[in-house]
Amino acid sequence: MKPGDKHRVIAEVTRRVLDKHASSPQVLEQALFETLYLERQRLEKQRHTKRRRQERARYERIQSEALRAPAERQRELLGTVIRAFCEEVSGHFDPRVYKLATRVIPGALNLLLNALSPLRLLQELPGGMSRLDEQLVLEGECDALRKAASLGTTVLVPTHSSNLDSILVGFGLYRLGLPPYVYGAGLNLFSNKLIGFFMHNLGAYKVDRRKQASVYKDVLKTYAGHTMELGYHNLFFPGGTRSRSGSVEQKLKLGLLGQSLDAYIHNLRRKAEQPDIFVVPCTINYQLVLEAETLIDDHLKEVGKSRYIIEDDEFSKPKRILDFVQRIFSLDSRIHLVVSQPLDVFGNRVDEQGCSRDARGRPVDRTRYVQVDGEPAFDAQRDQEYTRELARSVAEAYLRDTVLSPIHLVAHTVFEWLRDRNPTLDLYRLLRTGGEFESMPLIEAYDRLERTLEALQRRAGRGELRLDERLKTRDSVAVMSHALQHLSSYHRRPALVRRGDRLLHIDRNLLLYYQARIGELSPRLGGAS
Amino acid sequence: MSLDALVVGGGSFGTALATILAGMDRRVRLWVRREEQADEINRGHTNQRYLPDFELPESLQATIDLQGSLSQCRVVLMSVPSRSFRSVARQLGDHLRGDQILVHTTKGIEKDSFSRMSEILRQETCVLKVGVLSGPNLARELMAGHPAGALIASRYDEVIAAVQALFAQSRLRVYGGRDVTGTELGGAFKNIIALAAGVADGLGFGDNTKSLLITRGLSEMARFGVARGADVFTFGGLAGIGDLMATCASPLSRNHKVGEQLAAGKPLEEILSSMAQVAEGVPTTEAVYQQCRRMGLDLPIVRAVHGMLFEGWSPQHALETLMGLDVGRELAALRFN
Repeated sequence: MKPGDKHRVIAEVTRRVLDKHASSPQVLEQALFETLYLERQRLEKQRHTKRRRQERARYERIQSEALRAPAERQRELLGTVIRAFCEEVSGHFDPRVYKLATRVIPGALNLLLNALSPLRLLQELPGGMSRLDEQLVLEGECDALRKAASLGTTVLVPTHSSNLDSILVGFGLYRLGLPPYVYGAGLNLFSNKLIGFFMHNLGAYKVDRRKQASVYKDVLKTYAGHTMELGYHNLFFPGGTRSRSGSVEQKLKLGLLGQSLDAYIHNLRRKAEQPDIFVVPCTINYQLVLEAETLIDDHLKEVGKSRYIIEDDEFSKPKRILDFVQRIFSLDSRIHLVVSQPLDVFGNRVDEQGCSRDARGRPVDRTRYVQVDGEPAFDAQRDQEYTRELARSVAEAYLRDTVLSPIHLVAHTVFEWLRDRNPTLDLYRLLRTGGEFESMPLIEAYDRLERTLEALQRRAGRGELRLDERLKTRDSVAVMSHALQHLSSYHRRPALVRRGDRLLHIDRNLLLYYQARIGELSPRLGGAS
Repeated sequence: MSLDALVVGGGSFGTALATILAGMDRRVRLWVRREEQADEINRGHTNQRYLPDFELPESLQATIDLQGSLSQCRVVLMSVPSRSFRSVARQLGDHLRGDQILVHTTKGIEKDSFSRMSEILRQETCVLKVGVLSGPNLARELMAGHPAGALIASRYDEVIAAVQALFAQSRLRVYGGRDVTGTELGGAFKNIIALAAGVADGLGFGDNTKSLLITRGLSEMARFGVARGADVFTFGGLAGIGDLMATCASPLSRNHKVGEQLAAGKPLEEILSSMAQVAEGVPTTEAVYQQCRRMGLDLPIVRAVHGMLFEGWSPQHALETLMGLDVGRELAALRFN
């Protein structure tokens, strides 16, 4: 972000959030005291540091003054709290650092991964860092993304399954020749100082999920929205958090997504030169997921009540990242980043010329959607529904552009067999005991696998989903062998191993996790839960 | 925009809606497909085919110019049978704009895709602000000016407000709701029960039987609707029990008439070919029955009506099958599902 813009953004975001929360003396008082209460609660739970002491003292000062202050002064006090949030959130993007990061070492991703333990990584990785570059496959509507970025502001909304996602997307964008994107990264991504440094300077802003005040959440949303208005491309994960179950996200958070519409209307109202905001879904497809074990455990423990912030997963252990990267090399395990067709903020597809198209391909004048008596206008209820439409289109794109691999297919095959063989067991008992049979005959596995593969290939032919290269052939032996290579290694416990002419299911949680990717696409299986 | 509303479809219900609006000095136009029908409405002020006994207001103008009329209005009320719904929607889609409001009144489901009408509107047009107007609204009673109530369901407050404003102060009280799925499914499903009620009347049964059919039919409607994502409370309102009562009780209902004639032993094809208007219950029964099989839902009345319409069951056999079923607790299926 340009230095001048940063101050403008902070001032404007503070003004908008304050206006929203100070619409009447009652609303103002409620917002101020709720924020102070929740912030002090948060600080209670934190480690004792100098910073914590200072923050606490500051909130106490504000609280004691606010208790006796008239509404006008209370407004000022809330303004200072909001402004402090804005300053903390706003990134410190410095073009000089970005240039250095992308020029000096080949590939920003390599740089970031190096940062975990630079010397050891450089020494231990076979073939050098450049191989990682080869393992990331960019496909789909990359040209359309570039074109959209030249016609307006783009908002990239990828699927989310690993903390490596933001780094990979950042690297993908760099390879596409696009500028860095503004995105909100959880504080845990900044916990490694070197990664944090580059995160910050590559366009990331800090999101502290421990801060629960609605004022803070509004600051985050408004910050993202206002940067979109100013033409900064944005990136966020509308799933909200990493997919715990392994399935393709279908329930998306509307808050940040809705900012794209807000920004569009603001742009139309102020007659901006390039008012358009294009939302571009994108799927990140790993064969192995770094944090799979922790994620599925969390899903199973807390279905519907996920812990949300996991601070002790594989991402916080540099050794696990190293293992993961090495595994990607040795197993020829490509990561596919698929860019979907851009959408307008109402969920219509956008063509190469930036024109919105309806489901029948007819051109749509998108400015009309927000017109009231011929002028662009806000309408909170209407706009929320429009955002729901957008979310639906994004979720559909996720399903269409998810790349299925042999691992997903084999996990799906074995897991379906387990369910069929144990119809009376509930999911949890099945996972714990494995049911009546501890292994599956290989011949049956091949039979089922071929049938599912055929069905998937038919659907892929209709453009309903994507298959990785290995699944485009009919070579089920190669598919099985590739999957077994992956499923029997990398994770602490193998998920599936071959013993003679049988397949032994060992870590069924992992099988559940990897099959879930197909689960959303298969009407028979449904989701992972 | 020079029109308050455009009504698309010159059948009995479309004409009735346009008549109410014209009678209240709303600027309304009725789009019909055939030029002769437009001439008849504009010059003779009648619609002999669908509403033979009524005179239409002089201010009600019909047109065959879809593009021109669409360009002049903000609200479009679409009232065409489900079998031609998609093709008409696609035609509309060539001219509609994103700031317009599109509301349909069709009580049916597309047979092959099992799409609801609002889903078809989404697929065939660029309009997002869609809604459904439903309820116990027999066209002839509306034409006669009897007081009635309807439900406008939409995800958009703007749609609800616009339709309520159109009918404000008229004899049609329009209530608002958000459950589009429930409203559409209720409207379609009640036609199946109306067929059964017609059969019961045709067989000479009395009010006890009809009440049994209505309440158990309502239970099936709610179970089916909830399984498809509807709000169960919708079925307790105008678009559920309200519509069901009117359709099952009234000899004016087309589906009821089909049921009566089935009971008299007439073959279905003969019954349908003798009717000027569409009995939506017939294709809806097939669509719902197939969907129930896919979903693993057991709905005995739907099963019996399907048997009578498409599998050669006699009304007596259908009756015996229904009466021979095990009886369980009345609300168990709803309470625990």
